[in-house]
Amino acid sequence: MTGAPNLVGGPTGRAADLALVARCRAGELGAFEELYRAHAGKLFSVACRILGNVSDAEDVLQEVFLSAHRKLDGFRGESALATWLYRLATNQCLDYLRSRAARTGELTETLDEEPGLYEPGRTGLADQTVAKMDLERALTQLPAGCRAAFVLHDVQGLEHREVAEALGIAEGTSKSQVHKARLRLRTLLGSRRR
Amino acid sequence: MPCSRYRESAHELVDGTIGPIRRAELESHMDGCLDCRSLVRDLETIRAAAASLDPMEPPARVWLQVAGRLRQEGRVRALPGSSPAHARSARHGALLAIAAVLMMAVGASIAMLVSRLATSNATSPDATSPATIATTAPGGNAAPGATVQDVETEFRLAEQHYQNAIAKLEQAAGLDQAASAGQASGDQAMLDPQTAAMLQKNLQVIDQAINESRSALRAEPQSAAARDSLFDALKRKVALLQDSIALMNEMRKGDASGAAQIIQGASKS
Repeated sequence: MTGAPNLVGGPTGRAADLALVARCRAGELGAFEELYRAHAGKLFSVACRILGNVSDAEDVLQEVFLSAHRKLDGFRGESALATWLYRLATNQCLDYLRSRAARTGELTETLDEEPGLYEPGRTGLADQTVAKMDLERALTQLPAGCRAAFVLHDVQGLEHREVAEALGIAEGTSKSQVHKARLRLRTLLGSRRR
Repeated sequence: MPCSRYRESAHELVDGTIGPIRRAELESHMDGCLDCRSLVRDLETIRAAAASLDPMEPPARVWLQVAGRLRQEGRVRALPGSSPAHARSARHGALLAIAAVLMMAVGASIAMLVSRLATSNATSPDATSPATIATTAPGGNAAPGATVQDVETEFRLAEQHYQNAIAKLEQAAGLDQAASAGQASGDQAMLDPQTAAMLQKNLQVIDQAINESRSALRAEPQSAAARDSLFDALKRKVALLQDSIALMNEMRKGDASGAAQIIQGASKS
């Protein structure tokens, strides 16, 4: 059991989403504030953890909601409003990271070929608990794609189907990214304790 | 059977999505494999730690800026209504929009000025050239390539932007009248006396820091620490004024939790 929230929300949730979006499209600021209050916290948490700092996350969150307002006409209710917003937010975060990497000359990394990732036994946590701060710090060392999938699945509790939709990837790719992220975190957190 | 054969099953076990047959195979393998038992335990630890990370709430200014931009772009409208309460709300909304737009404009100007100061620092080839003199830009970095006059001009300009922002924000928040009259203005009257006193006290502390930084800067015009300190104090004053406006907005809407969040942030200013 994952305990993951179902973002689809069923017909009632979808109808409520569409009704709220219709009011926002009509230019009702109160409706858009309602939408903001319902989703800003989750999106801000995701942005902070993908970007690794609060100040960048504030800028991105602002852009996400401005972009959401501009794109409301394109929301047809095929996915839950929350999933649609997660997609806008993660895209915005990943674009931001790419542009930051281009500016600063950072190298982008993938975990596809990392040697030793699957070697068992060498990187265990030795029965210790993981401090939140250690985990937050280790998260910043993951490649962006893995980090986004891990944050959405393991931190926010989305199902792989929802993560896939939010990131625009296949469900199998979401699983693979989350699994690789966990193994890398195991290595990072294990080495921190030695 | 190699352990890698069970890797995906280990993740599925942790996620609770494993089927009964694969689960039985994995458990049978783990009975004799310490490494895989250790892996599953670690994955469970990481999964639990991730799920326990605290949710984070954005500061009130983010919504103010979003709402300000939407109003500025003419994408939203106020609800119809003509009651005095609505008129007051609309006036307050306009003030909030002004404050939000102002914040963005000031932020952009300051960023541009600081960036120009940093650029003049980065592009200078020779700190000992007779035409230049070692000075220090806000942020603490030496700016050996910029002339004293250049840096001074940029610095004064940046400071003036802050001052303009503060004056307009004070007007929007009604704090100027309250301060001169020694009592709460119409909008400030929405705040309980304790909160209003806390905001005023924090403003006084920040004003004192601004005055002290200015004195230090007068005594030592090239001091990076004094400049940083002045900019920091000015920034804190802008943020506190913005929080005050956001707080009045939450009180007007009757959102006690939103107000409490802002008060908590403002009390740390």
